[in-house]
Amino acid sequence: MRRKTAFVCTLAGTILAGLAINSVAPAAEGKDEVTSLRLLSESEYRNSIADIFGPDITVQGRFEPERRVGGLLAASATLLSVTPAGLEASSKMADSIADQAVSPKNRERLSCKPQTATSADGKCSTELLQRYGMMLFRRPLTKDELAPRVALANKLADSSHDFYAGVRQSLVSLLAAPPFLFRMERAVPAGKDYTLDAYGRAARLSYMLWDTTPDAELLKAAASGALNTPEGITEQVDRLMASPRLETGMRAFYADFLQLDTLGDTTKDALIYPKYSNQIGQMAQEETLRTVVDLTLRKNGDVRDLMTTRTTFISRPLASIYGVPYSFDGGEWMPYQFPESAGRSGLLTQISTLGMFSHPGRSSPTKRGVAVMDIFLCEPTPLPPANVDFSIVNDVNNPNLRTVRQRLSAHATNPACASCHTHSDPIGLSLERFDSIGVYRAKENGDPIDVSGTLSGKKFDGALGLGQVLHDNPKFPACVARKLFSYGVGTDSETVEASTLKTAYKTFADSGYRVRPLIRALATSPEFFSVPAPVAEETRTANNDAK
Amino acid sequence: MALNRRFLLRGLSQGAAAIVALPYLDCFLDGKGEALAATGQKIPTRFGTYFWGCGLTKQLYVPKKEGAGYDLPPQLASLEPHKNKVTVFSGMRAIVDDSPNYQHWTGVAAINTGIAPAKTGQFESETIDQTIAAAISRGTRFKSIEVSCAGNKNESYSSLGGANTNPPEVSPLGLYTRLFGPGFQDPSKGDWKPDPQVLVRQSVLSVVADDRKRLMMHLGAGDRARMEQYFTSLRELEQTLDFQLQRPAMIADVKVPVAPGEMPLNKSVITLREVVPALSRLLAIGLATNQTRVFNMALSEPGSTIFMPGDSKPFHQATHEEPIDAALGYQVVTSKFSNYSMVFYAMLIKALDEVKEGDGTLLDHSLVLAYTDTSFAKLHALDGIPMLLAGSAGGRLKTGYHINGTGEPVSRVGLTVQQAMGMPVDSWGKGSMATKKPISELLA
Repeated sequence: MRRKTAFVCTLAGTILAGLAINSVAPAAEGKDEVTSLRLLSESEYRNSIADIFGPDITVQGRFEPERRVGGLLAASATLLSVTPAGLEASSKMADSIADQAVSPKNRERLSCKPQTATSADGKCSTELLQRYGMMLFRRPLTKDELAPRVALANKLADSSHDFYAGVRQSLVSLLAAPPFLFRMERAVPAGKDYTLDAYGRAARLSYMLWDTTPDAELLKAAASGALNTPEGITEQVDRLMASPRLETGMRAFYADFLQLDTLGDTTKDALIYPKYSNQIGQMAQEETLRTVVDLTLRKNGDVRDLMTTRTTFISRPLASIYGVPYSFDGGEWMPYQFPESAGRSGLLTQISTLGMFSHPGRSSPTKRGVAVMDIFLCEPTPLPPANVDFSIVNDVNNPNLRTVRQRLSAHATNPACASCHTHSDPIGLSLERFDSIGVYRAKENGDPIDVSGTLSGKKFDGALGLGQVLHDNPKFPACVARKLFSYGVGTDSETVEASTLKTAYKTFADSGYRVRPLIRALATSPEFFSVPAPVAEETRTANNDAK
Repeated sequence: MALNRRFLLRGLSQGAAAIVALPYLDCFLDGKGEALAATGQKIPTRFGTYFWGCGLTKQLYVPKKEGAGYDLPPQLASLEPHKNKVTVFSGMRAIVDDSPNYQHWTGVAAINTGIAPAKTGQFESETIDQTIAAAISRGTRFKSIEVSCAGNKNESYSSLGGANTNPPEVSPLGLYTRLFGPGFQDPSKGDWKPDPQVLVRQSVLSVVADDRKRLMMHLGAGDRARMEQYFTSLRELEQTLDFQLQRPAMIADVKVPVAPGEMPLNKSVITLREVVPALSRLLAIGLATNQTRVFNMALSEPGSTIFMPGDSKPFHQATHEEPIDAALGYQVVTSKFSNYSMVFYAMLIKALDEVKEGDGTLLDHSLVLAYTDTSFAKLHALDGIPMLLAGSAGGRLKTGYHINGTGEPVSRVGLTVQQAMGMPVDSWGKGSMATKKPISELLA
């Protein structure tokens, strides 16, 4: 942990040192359009602040609730705005961040010192606001943005006899402003579509690969126009990918892709599962992230092996759920290899997946089946038809269906329900030997559990069988590629044309489904920066009037 | 204590940073300071919503008698002490026309906006509480306050439109801190002084607000609306700061509470029995001290995962999997969950009715709309969605009725609510839910 902090600290220094001081953006030329507003996620916000102001700055507060669109929270960033309560929280955070940034302890880090700390110093406040403004807005400030902030800082400095009190408030006015809270992606015409401008490209690369704001080198590459060339992009992508920070970025993607945030809202009935706690939930998330990062990035393994691997990382509390010995004195986590007899198969049988897609007091084959199809195969289950009478499947005279399979088979005999349940349930039923918190069990209510299943017509048995079928299903790696692309560009994964991904996917497949070549191929493809031409002016006006 | 300029200047010189021109201070003193020094605060009317998931049991909640003085059915038994202040609606319908019935969403959106949603998880317009808040929340610290009872930060059904929802407080401690933590000005303290730092914050926000015109340029239609929402939020924040410069007024006879401790938060009914009254009490005091006039409480998500400890079937699951008892004609376990939905609702009503205010109670000066997402959750049915109104909106609404909606659109309740809140609205809703007919027998 300490090593990581030091690293980030150096990086913040690098951003500061590398920025050109006198850059002010030219006025918009009229051809460019802001093609998307992407609200910063909580981790993007936190990482950006740490990089800009230092990792020891405390960020405390609440963020806007996100929604999953096409399987990803990242896609909702292009739908969300800032609510009154959200802005109230965000302005408090801004105030606290700015206060810490200019505190006597931290002000030494700032790039200039005023002539005297008890009055305004226009030169120094201009330099500071230009510098931090560029980092916060991910582009140079315009004159219209800079001048009033310098004026505010100077006025407040004079009236309060404190240079830093003035700078502090102007920093707040940057931190609370839309160009910081939203990634405002600008694009220019390119053929029949538009393509992101260089600063938009810098931010897109940085937030996808590192989950944070562009560093000094990226901003320089944007300013010089290097990011408008394929060579310049490749150079930056290779640099970003060579850094250990790629893991931070990919952790954020994997957490979103695997819907691990769901664990935060997962509660278990303490009467039925006394072993479960919020701590288990947090550790289960960490276990999964460690597994995925280790296999796909550190070992450069085949992503499909995530469905079958028996290698994982466990902590003492997780070991007690898994019912395996824990003997490790080197820290909190130890690598662990399940024996084949354990019946565990990759992510499918980790506590996170099993626990998230269950009820508080019991497992749910339907939830698990729906989740597997949605997350790993990009096949979201359509909504059940409205006003379907589920009571048909429940025989009032014979309610003693003992196992979940018996209960659910009733579902599948009704045509209206069957259209979906015949897809989801056999997947989920194959995981029934694991209860709501992921503990192995052979029987339910005294009856042995039948874990035979089918997927796309292929019969299999239990979690091991399911893992192998998913491993061999080309839809799984295709889904990873689709979700990673959608995550990076901030769009609904269901709307991405297959042709958009074709080239990158070929690279991915040719590499034996290694994630690094996939990231590189996506991030250097023209499609990654391409946006549809904005809607015509008339539509816009009409809509605005209606509002 | 009289406000005077010397006092403010002293405040400024005590290390706090401010750039206030003296004419501004004069204006501040002559205006708000004097006006609020006067006594005789008028009691405002408040609006709130209570949302619960998965409906009620028709056989157990619909009173037999229609009109005033209804008989109390078993599922509403917990409302007994407040029966005369509560109106029950049965038979109101969410009409979707050509839109799909998005399960556990269409009903929520229809009641909140009078419009069938085109997408799940999104509202076609701002929600009714925000429409009302825009009209009545001027002069309060918060435009509205949202709370979620089961610890989930995504459970809020209050929105300015689209996919956004106003983020809720998810714990009694969080709600306490928001209402009575930093920034709260205690009206029961005699030595109130305006905080010069507020003036500084106002000047910071005005720099941000000045960018509006430039930021609205070069945006597509959807993004323009989202940017407009940001600036709406900014104006709300500016109003909050205006409020901070006013002498706080105590309306009701309440004491500012002490901070609650950390409480466990989850979807167990046992936990909710502790959390809901704590949240309700804090909300009541927040209203009484004029921190806000609008609140929204969500008991759970629409497809409620509330559970009874030891029973493996949570609420939503029970609605679908539990057979209908042949003899009773309804689902027994499901109906127990629905009973709880009303027990928790009664806790909220009780907390509001306990606060004495003028010659009545806080509840009398409020209007609380309780609603859910579906009628018969097993079918996700939208006909006969249960709704309740509590409080008489300062005398503008008659209470203690059972209204049988006979298939009329739910938007009629929304229109009635807005008119009872004194808003000049004569129609509400879209499509088959467009209505010009309030439920006039309820309007006093």
